[in-house]
Amino acid sequence: MSAGKDVMIEAVDVNKEYRRAGAIIRALADVNLKIRSGEFVIVQGPTGCGKSTLLNVLSGLDLPDSGRIIFDGENIARATEDRLSRLRRQKIGFVFQDFNLVNTLTAIENVEAVLWPTVLRQKEIENRAISALRDVDLLDRKDHYPVQMSGGEKQRCGIARAIIHRPRVILADEATGNLDPESEKQVMALLKKINKEMETTIIFVTHRDLSQYGTKTIRMDKGRIIKIQ
Amino acid sequence: MWRKAILLSLREKKIFTIFTLIYTILIFLTSLFWDLAIKEEIGAAANYLLVIFFGTSLFLSLLYAWILVSRKRRVWATFKCIGYTNKNILVLVSGMIFFTTIVGFLIVIEVLFHYTAALAYLHSEDLFLSINEILIGLVPVIITSALFIIVQLVAFFLAYRKVLKVRPIIALKKVGE
Repeated sequence: MSAGKDVMIEAVDVNKEYRRAGAIIRALADVNLKIRSGEFVIVQGPTGCGKSTLLNVLSGLDLPDSGRIIFDGENIARATEDRLSRLRRQKIGFVFQDFNLVNTLTAIENVEAVLWPTVLRQKEIENRAISALRDVDLLDRKDHYPVQMSGGEKQRCGIARAIIHRPRVILADEATGNLDPESEKQVMALLKKINKEMETTIIFVTHRDLSQYGTKTIRMDKGRIIKIQ
Repeated sequence: MWRKAILLSLREKKIFTIFTLIYTILIFLTSLFWDLAIKEEIGAAANYLLVIFFGTSLFLSLLYAWILVSRKRRVWATFKCIGYTNKNILVLVSGMIFFTTIVGFLIVIEVLFHYTAALAYLHSEDLFLSINEILIGLVPVIITSALFIIVQLVAFFLAYRKVLKVRPIIALKKVGE
């Protein structure tokens, strides 16, 4: 359906091994994949299949042992840490399973924090944070601390933080793993809306079957991609 | 970013209050003994005490830097995930350490001003004619605070080393993993 769109992320012959308790674990084995701009990709597989490693490698959080990661036309597999930080600040938004909000900051401050290191003025940062919180329908909670919010609200705040800088890609690692079914539906519908309206590429890693929300599903097992549909 | 470091410091109420109080007491005592040493009112003991106080200041700075980085590793890892560089995080951590000392210094100055004002008031009433000088001069307090900040450069270095070691990938691990 999106065959005509630009390739946003490409993994070419990517391998990654870990050493754990003396044993070598092959987390990624000859992974090749193309993710086009505007796709909503569900990466699904059992625990330990390498899906989180794939997410880490695609975002530059971890480096592959071999192979190339082409992110928006740039090979990031050997980029410097500062370059990767800048890339993440400009083009990537993260949504975490445990929300990772700073407990001592309010919802709006957590969202604003993404833009603190930028040259934007505080008023502009605040306006963008308000806009992001409005997008996730959490504006009425902007002055609440994470402890005063439910799991679903925390995750929506996490999504607002992920979209405040209008990233090209949102990476979500088991983002509904700590939510009840109702909140999970809300969060997935919200991500779907962001994917459609902002044309943001979304890569959603999960061990559950959430393929109905994606435009593409990648199934993994033992470090390999076994099926793309 | 410095303003955000102040915001983060103030929100860490418990740890900020404890360390500010300790710094306040330490700056006060160091300045007092420095003042006494200058006036030669106590002997060589003053020098030993000064060394002990500066040593304590160094230890506290290192402890504070260690607590700020180690206890909040997940926060810094998350910040790295959302695009912070090591330098950005170091500015926040350094700002938090620096701000604590500055507040300690301001409290000491405030206390001394009030003490002097009270003394002046009592003198004007001729109640305590025997009290004829203020507790500590302003110069030892300023020099002490400046030296405390210089001592903190060691803590900044430790913080930098520790910040470098925080891997952003930690943010993606489950809590407790």
